[in-house]
This record gives sequence, C-alpha cells and structure tokens, in this order.
Amino acid sequence: MYHRVLGLVFVSLYLCQAPMQAQDFKLFDRDVQIHGFASQGFVHTSDNNWLTMNTSGFGSGEFTDFGANASTQITDKLRIGAQLYDRNLGGLGRWHPTLDWALATYKFTPWFGIRGGKVKTVMGLYNDTQDLDFLHTFALLPQSVYPTDLRDVTLAHTGGDIFGDIPVGKKFGTLSYTAYAGHRSDSPYSGFAYLVNSDGGTFNSFGGLQYGGDLRWATPLKGLLVGASRMNEDLTLDFLNGGTDIRLNSSSDWTNQYYGQYSRKKLVVDAEYRRYWTDLGTQGVSMIQEDVRGWYVAGSYQVVKRVQVGSYFSHYWLNYPISGLLPSGTGHDYDKVITVRFDPNRFTNIKVEGHFMDGYGLPDQYPNGFYLANNPQGFKPNTDALVIKAGFHF
Amino acid sequence: MKHLRTFFAIAGWTILLGASAVAGDVKVIANPSVKAESISARELKSLYLEEKSSLNGTHVEPVVEKRGPAHEAFLRDYLGQTDDELQKYYQTLVFTGRGSMPKVVGSDAEVVAYVAKTRGAIGYVGAGASVEGVRTLSIGDSNGGERQLVTRIEPKYPEDLLKRSIGGTVRLKVFIAANGSVDHVDLLGGNPILGESAVSAVQKWKYAAGNSKTTMEISVPFDPNR
Repeated sequence: MYHRVLGLVFVSLYLCQAPMQAQDFKLFDRDVQIHGFASQGFVHTSDNNWLTMNTSGFGSGEFTDFGANASTQITDKLRIGAQLYDRNLGGLGRWHPTLDWALATYKFTPWFGIRGGKVKTVMGLYNDTQDLDFLHTFALLPQSVYPTDLRDVTLAHTGGDIFGDIPVGKKFGTLSYTAYAGHRSDSPYSGFAYLVNSDGGTFNSFGGLQYGGDLRWATPLKGLLVGASRMNEDLTLDFLNGGTDIRLNSSSDWTNQYYGQYSRKKLVVDAEYRRYWTDLGTQGVSMIQEDVRGWYVAGSYQVVKRVQVGSYFSHYWLNYPISGLLPSGTGHDYDKVITVRFDPNRFTNIKVEGHFMDGYGLPDQYPNGFYLANNPQGFKPNTDALVIKAGFHF
Repeated sequence: MKHLRTFFAIAGWTILLGASAVAGDVKVIANPSVKAESISARELKSLYLEEKSSLNGTHVEPVVEKRGPAHEAFLRDYLGQTDDELQKYYQTLVFTGRGSMPKVVGSDAEVVAYVAKTRGAIGYVGAGASVEGVRTLSIGDSNGGERQLVTRIEPKYPEDLLKRSIGGTVRLKVFIAANGSVDHVDLLGGNPILGESAVSAVQKWKYAAGNSKTTMEISVPFDPNR
C-alpha cells in the first residue's frame, strides 16, 4: 500500500512536469474546452478508523477522485457543458462514475440568467466546489459544514436556477443571488447508504424535492464577502429492514447557512455556520429527528509564491432527540487542523495536514466520518489524523 | 531654457514615479470589429469576470496575458485581484459549468497579434507596446451611467517627449455636463507634460447628452512608437 501511494504521487508529479494545458478543439465551428482534475490522498489516524477507511493501522490510500468536463459557448448568451466525476473513499463512491453536472446556461443580462439540467447547488462558500481539491488550501474542508461522506446531500439538484449579480453602487458593493428548485437523489455509495447497509438494512433510495436560495454581498470593504443560504427539502428515505420495506417521509427538512470571508493580500479568513434539521416519519409519526449544527473559523496565508499554510477549528454538534428507530442522544466532534500546501507548479499541489479531533459524533444515528462498521471494537474519545494529498488539474 | 525645464520635469517624475508606476501603465486594445472607442472600468471588469460578453452589441472575448508587468498592472488596477485569485476564479467557473477559461497568451506582441486577427477579441498590453492592426480603447470609470463619446480629439504628443521615446498613460477625471460638453478635467496621475496635453484635448470632447452631470475617470495612453 505504502509503495502504491508513493508511486501514484510521484507518477502524478512527473506527468505534470510536462506543460499541461486545457485542451481546446472545434466542433461545428464552436470552441470546445476540456478540463480535468485528479487527486490521491493518504490518511493515517491514531485510534479510530475514519471516513470508512482502515486508517488506524498503517493508514489508507483509498482516497482517490478525478473528474473531467467539456463545455462550449453556443451563442453570445448560451453555454452548455457537462462533467463526470468518480471517487473511491474507503467504502464510499466505490469507483462508480457519476454525472457531476450537465447544464445549459442562458444569461439575459449580468443581473438575470437561468440554468437548467443537473446543476451544482450554490450554498455557503464552498458547497459547489467542495470536490475541487486544487481550489482549497485544506486537504479536507471543515467536516462540520462540508462532510465529505455526505457530499451528495447538498451537492447538486436536477432542475433549474435563476441567478444574477446586481451592482448596488460603488458605496454599497454587489449583491449576487441564486434561487433554485429541483430533485436531489443520494448515491447508493454515499454516507447514508453506507450507514443503513452497515446497520443490517438495505438502502434503496433517499431523495426528493430540493429548493432554496443564496444571497451574498460583496461589501464595499475590499475583500469582505458575507452571505446566507437556505435549503428546503421534501424527501423520502426508502430502505429494507429485516425484509420489511420502510418508507419515511420528511415533514420538515431545512438547512440554514451563514457565512463570511475576508481576504487581504495573502491572508484569507473564512467563517461559516450551518444548521440542518430534519424530521422523518411515517403516517404522521416521527421516527427520525436530527438537529445538526456545525461551524468553523479558518485562516490561510500564502507564505511564498508556492507555499500556503492554514488552520481551522471546526465545531460539530448533533442532537438526536427522539427514540424512534434508534436511541436518542447527542454527539460532537471538535477538530483542530493545521495544513501546509505546496504547489510545485501551476497545475499540481501537495498538502500535508494534521487533524486533532475530540469526539466522533453519533455513529449509530447519523453519518459523520466515524462508523461502527469500521470500528467494531468501539470508539476512543480522541482521534489524531495525518492527511497527505497530491493533486493536479488542467 | 524650455528644454532644460522639460528635462528636469521628466527626470523628476521618472524618479518620483519609479519603475513600478511606469510598469503599471496599460492600454486596452480590441479587434477593429468591436464597435467602441472607450470602455468603462466596470465594463472591463465585467467582461473579464465573464459577467457579460458583449460591448455595444458586439460579442467580445477577453484575452489574458500569462505574466508580466502589464498583466500585473491590469489585474491590480482594473480587476482588483492577484493572478492566483483570478486563476481560482476562472477555475471555479470552469469546474462548476458557469464559464470558460479565457485565451491565455505569453506577451504583449502575442496579445496584439491575437486580438488583431480574432473577431471580437479584447486584450491589454503595456503602454509602450506597438498596437498595429488593433483599436486602442480609452478607459473610463463613470458614475450615473455610461456616456457615449461622440467627438474625440486626439491629444498632441509633446515633441520633446516623443523625441526621447517617453510614453505612458495619464489618468483624468472628466466632469461632463448634461448636454454632453466637458465642464472641466482634473489630472489624477501620470506624466504632467503628457497630462497637460491630454487635458487640453479632452476638454474639447463631446459626449452624448444625459439626464444629469456625470463624472468619469479615464486613461489616455501615449505611445511613442505609434
């Protein structure tokens, strides 16, 4: 395993020494651009196994993803494109490629446009870019707000958006809005499916209507952005339990997210808060209620041209208030993180990151990185993790 | 005596402004198919951030320089971003399906060559770059909405500076009356001798009539090689 991980890193870096450019070609007299990315990670933890990998022994390199897209501008205002994405993260993804996005966008004016198809959902600072490792200083975004095992839950919807940027004068900055509605569907290789299946059930589907909006304000103070997002959902969870088909419908399911970002020269400071509430039941009887609250404060600084350092504190708290299908309880995971990112060239990056976690959530009730299936011996209260990740894009 | 005064004025400003200010001068160029004489700083930013893709009804495609003083000055003065921030911005557009990567070329000469041959292309080059075959746009930053330039009088190049091949860009604040005439012009930056010539010319410019008084910040390039 050790040699495989190192081999992948070196091969990636070697390949990227060659000048790597986005590929352009003509199709029906239109320029088509092709872009792609890939990353390979390695995770070692001190005690508990994490993110469905066997991380607590030597460590695990089952942490790979890649994607590629093609897009073209059809007319002055119309563009189309699509992206495929595939990943393998321990028991998640399992190398099953997905259509990440496939959409048509028509922009009437800078302040009003529409897009339809499978669309990345705008929520908070990084929801729509959470898979794009090369855009972020950190190898793992704060898991209290962007849990990688639950990326499907908020990532995209099949439907449509309206969006635009409204300048409100030099003294007041710019407002950007997005409103959307569509259908969301969890992958059978996501965290929810993994939890249901590892608890002895058989996951069938989890999805439904998703609608909401995002409003962000680029303030007149240079570098300061603030915003808020709201998502409502009407979902159905379908799974087999002991041969019985169980369908739970959400009577209430929403997410609120508030965020701010300040960047000045080489310093970027982010802060976000997300609260997710769901009430799933059948025939008016609540079976699952979850109240998930996460926030983080992160800072990153570019020390020299190709080196960044960063740190964040991520605070996750979960309340499972009723004893329906599972026992009630509360859980937490407080994660202190330090990172160094090195970019050997414009197209590649290497990250070394330390996590110091207190708590492991409520592994029986809700997926949050720690699963009983990977920790049959039970959990220790603290987990330290070393994450090494290398990636490239073109 | 006049020549001596000019010499000391040039020398003094060269020392005061330093190399970075000289490096910071850029001019915006467009393919002759682009029907515009001027562009506001806001329009320029919107085009480069892919918020809009046309100028006066012409489809426009921005061209980005890979590196260099003109590139750095353009990002700093008109986009308010570093190269890393701009790359990240374009990558976010590209990998979420919201935009494309603009054409990237390596030098001023390549920008000029590409813009000259590509319909709708718009780019930026250093103030001293040769811009044969393309149109140079004056850059403004308006409040109260865009005012279309109707009559443009080209500023006279001061002979002493032309002989010494000294160029640059001057920044002016133009106060435009509701009827479109120029009330007065303030020199904001640049070589004062070039500025004097630019102010004199811009005072004769005529804009389209508007509803009220308007102020605009514009840049006027002086290229000794042109």
